[in-house]
Amino acid sequence: MASDISKELLTIILAGGRGERLYPLTKVRSKPAVPFGGIYRIIDFTLSNCLNSGFRRIKVLCQYMSHSLDRHLKEGWSIFCRELDEYIDSVPPQQQFQETWYKGTADAIFQNFYLLDLIHPKYVMILSGDHIYKMNYAEMVRYHIEKKAELTVATVEAEMSRASGKLGVMQVDPTGRIVDFEEKPLKPKTSSAHSGHALVNMGIYVFNTDALVRNVVADAKRDTSHDFGRDVIPAMIPAHRCYSFNFVDETGGEILYWRDIGTIENYYEANMDLLSPRPRFDLFDPQWPVRAHIGQYPPAKMIRAASAQGKRAKLGRARNSIISHGCIIDGAVVSNCVISPGVYIGPEAEVEDSIIMHGTHIGAGCRICRSLIDKNVSIAPGKTIGYEPEQDSQHFMISENGIVLIPKDFKLL
Amino acid sequence: MKKLLIVDDEKHLRLLYQTEFEAEGYKVDTAADAMEALGMFEHERYDLVILDIKMPGMDGIEALGKFLGRDNKLPVIINSAYDSHKDNFMSWAADSYVIKSSDLSELKQKVKEAFGESIYEF
Repeated sequence: MASDISKELLTIILAGGRGERLYPLTKVRSKPAVPFGGIYRIIDFTLSNCLNSGFRRIKVLCQYMSHSLDRHLKEGWSIFCRELDEYIDSVPPQQQFQETWYKGTADAIFQNFYLLDLIHPKYVMILSGDHIYKMNYAEMVRYHIEKKAELTVATVEAEMSRASGKLGVMQVDPTGRIVDFEEKPLKPKTSSAHSGHALVNMGIYVFNTDALVRNVVADAKRDTSHDFGRDVIPAMIPAHRCYSFNFVDETGGEILYWRDIGTIENYYEANMDLLSPRPRFDLFDPQWPVRAHIGQYPPAKMIRAASAQGKRAKLGRARNSIISHGCIIDGAVVSNCVISPGVYIGPEAEVEDSIIMHGTHIGAGCRICRSLIDKNVSIAPGKTIGYEPEQDSQHFMISENGIVLIPKDFKLL
Repeated sequence: MKKLLIVDDEKHLRLLYQTEFEAEGYKVDTAADAMEALGMFEHERYDLVILDIKMPGMDGIEALGKFLGRDNKLPVIINSAYDSHKDNFMSWAADSYVIKSSDLSELKQKVKEAFGESIYEF
């Protein structure tokens, strides 16, 4: 049942980013629709947070390459009852007022004021559709109300290396009120709680609706990038009650897990994080289920290779890996991998430290490491990928940290 | 000389506003509906728009968004007989919201204020 707070609140998920730094994963889909962790798409984590927080009035603002995301929302998230005023609506750009696409996150809200007119919520929760974390948004809204804030920004303490030049960094007073905000500073100021860390903007906001409208209007009339982090929030801090909701464990004060999937490196590392024996982000937490749209597949199987002739057939094995349903590990060895549904890996193939997406076929005897292989790729038997960068770079993009990127539907013959 | 565009579907009001604001020293053009006003805006630059809301065809709220889409710093004053349109969040994008009255002093004051605060100069 939806919480009482949720009846006064509209949730808007910003899912329109182009995701250029995740290319080629974003060649045919928006960033929130990129598969993650075997069976999920990135937006499933934000939507599951909404579901687990009791927030069931959700508008997802799409833009670039929205077909895949829209289909995922229809197939996987048509779970709410509109008659009970619960919904997840995919909203493409309407160009109602302006004949342009969204110029920034704040412009996406400006161009969709009519959504607020339809509902007139007391509060608006604004979320990003491309982060991996578990947060009870109801607690954040309660904090917002207790503080009599006009804006509450979720913040997390990040190591300096993650914050420097990449994230918005805040300073707060002892009451939690934000007193300073710098967008992507090269030398971030440290936070008071944990040395070597900076308090960074998670891109999660609770606004009083009137404060949101007034400040987005003010920003629309300035020549800015029309972005919440760069423009709207720094402009609000001196004159408005802006508070930080720090993302820490309530009991121990431990910094909780949050990853912004901005780059291939972030994406790869966040997937690999799932493979540790006791991951900080646990998919097996019964208190916080993460919902996915999986489709119909038979169970995964790891079998002794059927085609090994004349010698003793090897048993298919997977070590320290996520193996989704519909996969066949046919006499192959898989180590430290995240394997999505419907993947076939042939006899005597060795695959390690890789992410393999739905429906990909890896032939017998292939040797693959540190590769990110998109959906429905076909790799002929005997190929080697990830061991010889010069050879790989003739066929594929390679990320800064050396991950070989193989795009959707690629056939390596 | 500052140039105003007055958008109102009532002919007598257009005439009244034109006379009054010309007497204040402004150059004034008028349009009878939003489409006509947006068409005029394509060819002419205005320093401020006074905009009725309830008009045949496109209403003033939609027109306001389109004006700001073309020029995000354009001062716009909503001049409506009704205050109920304040519930519409796009109306908050106007510099002022004036309820129509036979006494034009508030409207004239808001025009002066808009120019006082505006950095819009030609």
